[in-house]
Amino acid sequence: MESHSAAIQARELTKTFGTFTAVDHVTFEVQRGELFGLLGPNGAGKTTLSRMLTTLITPTSGQGLVAGLDVAREPVRVREAIGVIPQALTSDLDLTGWENVDLYGGYYNLSRRTRRERAEHLIHMVGLTERANDLVQTYSGGMRRRLEIARGLIHSPQVLFLDEPTIGLDPQSRRAVWELLQQLRKDTGLTVSLTTHYMDEAETLCDRIAIVDGGKIIAIGSPAELKAMVEGSDRIELEVQGDNEMVIAMLRRQPGVHEVARDPDGPIIVTVDDGAHAMPKIIGEIENAGATVSSIKLERMSLEDVFIRFTGRRLRDEPARKGGFFSSSFGMPVPPGR
Amino acid sequence: MRKTWAIMRRELLKLGRNPLTIFTSVLLPIIYLIIFGNSFQGVLKHLPVVIVSEDSGPYAIRVMEQMQALAAGPKTIAIVYDTDAGAAIQGVRDGVYKAALIIPPGFSHNIAEGRIGELGLFTDNVDTISAATLTGVLGQATDVIRTSYVTAREPKLNQIVLRPSNLFTTVDYDRSLLPGVIVMAMFMGSLTSGVFNWVMDRFMGITECYLVTPLSRWNLAAGVLGSSVLVTSIASVIVLAVGLLITGGTITGGAPAAAMLVGVIIIGATGILAMTFVLLARANNPRIVGASAGFLNVILYFPSGAVYPVESFPPWLRAFAHYNPETHAVAAIKSILFKGANFAAVSNDLAFLVIFSSIMLVIASMTVKRTL
Repeated sequence: MESHSAAIQARELTKTFGTFTAVDHVTFEVQRGELFGLLGPNGAGKTTLSRMLTTLITPTSGQGLVAGLDVAREPVRVREAIGVIPQALTSDLDLTGWENVDLYGGYYNLSRRTRRERAEHLIHMVGLTERANDLVQTYSGGMRRRLEIARGLIHSPQVLFLDEPTIGLDPQSRRAVWELLQQLRKDTGLTVSLTTHYMDEAETLCDRIAIVDGGKIIAIGSPAELKAMVEGSDRIELEVQGDNEMVIAMLRRQPGVHEVARDPDGPIIVTVDDGAHAMPKIIGEIENAGATVSSIKLERMSLEDVFIRFTGRRLRDEPARKGGFFSSSFGMPVPPGR
Repeated sequence: MRKTWAIMRRELLKLGRNPLTIFTSVLLPIIYLIIFGNSFQGVLKHLPVVIVSEDSGPYAIRVMEQMQALAAGPKTIAIVYDTDAGAAIQGVRDGVYKAALIIPPGFSHNIAEGRIGELGLFTDNVDTISAATLTGVLGQATDVIRTSYVTAREPKLNQIVLRPSNLFTTVDYDRSLLPGVIVMAMFMGSLTSGVFNWVMDRFMGITECYLVTPLSRWNLAAGVLGSSVLVTSIASVIVLAVGLLITGGTITGGAPAAAMLVGVIIIGATGILAMTFVLLARANNPRIVGASAGFLNVILYFPSGAVYPVESFPPWLRAFAHYNPETHAVAAIKSILFKGANFAAVSNDLAFLVIFSSIMLVIASMTVKRTL
């Protein structure tokens, strides 16, 4: 279903490099104000998808609309409407934080006054006012990333694209970037497209997530919806004093219970849909059957589990693709690993 | 314009924060000028020659006098005397001497009898430049012996006298290298401030943050090329000024000639810079630029007429030199710097540089890709 309020629309978007299909007929929509995640392992195709939507790569077929503008037909207007934080740290090390942001404003033809006002506000927003006049080479990775977020917002874009914004950052810096993005959304209602291969990042930040693998979207929805798509999304581990075999047989008859298993001399593992609500009922049934629960643990399904259910494997790193001497030296097209 | 200026400002700020990169573009040509200007002196001097005279007759004495004159006057040779011809020749073989001159017994007698007076000259012909020079100057010196003594005031009626006249101020060898080193600075500056930075940005992934902005390929090309031309031209003018100080010269033609020189430097730097962009801007790794720098410098600099006259090249190299922008830049700078040439005198070289630069600028701008 097409929506006129959609900030991003991908319709059968496809990108091939020779015989290699990096993105394969992908269709999705991101509403205005939404923080949308593209989640998948390295090589899944999410960066290629993002690059098509940010006009860095021309789609082989299909259509991409950003802020209602066709990425292939109106790339300049799309570029005016978007802010992009690429995966690599791209701020100039030899320039100060202020110069990085100010110069970037020049690329968007902003007046000196507008640049100054916006840069002051944004640098303050990312918490770098004290360090604004220091060379970026003295910044930590997290500070550089925050500066680049400020830089990407200098022209007040309608849609912000972030490609793996916390890759390579320490946990504290990652947390700082997350907080910045959450604050940014709260303050501005900006539409954000976030590409990541970190499950926790997607789960913490995103309203909706598209799980990408093999160049295709294999599932899409909010984190809760994605988990609900998988039967038996929660695991309850029980240690029971009494007749364990009788308890297992009783639990298998309970509604909402998908699976009951037990490792030899280990706990009983019950797979249920809604663990938080199922737990008191299970405890009650066990006690009614004359046994006692000595310990109980609830494990909620993570996005990692969802990913495994949909793809049959864990998130993994693809091996780097090798280019030939000439292709790697002189920019001849090499499949970019999706 | 604001977009292009933003790109230019970025490049200039970065270069300003790393002056060492541009300093090398100034330093290398100046070091070249100092070392080549002093190691290759134009006229060879102090070549060690061992003389063995086995004849004591008058013509042998005349030969010795001529050799001593060569050693005392132009100092082309430094004489060592020996009495053993075998040892002298061995000395040449061992690299002690560049040549051995043997005056055999009966040399004077043969000449006096009207026969050929033969001298033995054994040269270290592996060192071709020294060998050719010694063969030439020793041949001239011994030729004199066969002719009567003639003063400049009393020429014989049947003798041809060549009276050389210099049209321009004398240019010492080291100063003659100056046009070449200015062009070398233009080449070095083009690489370090232009295409190297461009390729490094791509290598670091920084290009991606340009490409997602509304900058057009013309903004990008004009910003990067403009800033690089500015920096390269300043570096080349510094080399010109320092070069003049080192070689102790001035610009023949004064201020108008100086202004023309700056013009040639700007046009030449634009052409060379755009050409390096055409050749290397698509490289993905800055090491490619580094590795190509030496190669390009050799194939552009040496056939440019900076160290040897283009007219003396073999035809195929002369043809290459004709289309080499450095040839025309060297020729124009040489004419203005040493000859005080007016605009008309350098118009052909300037016309070539303008056309070449224009074509290269268009192609260079087209090499700037707007997508990854």
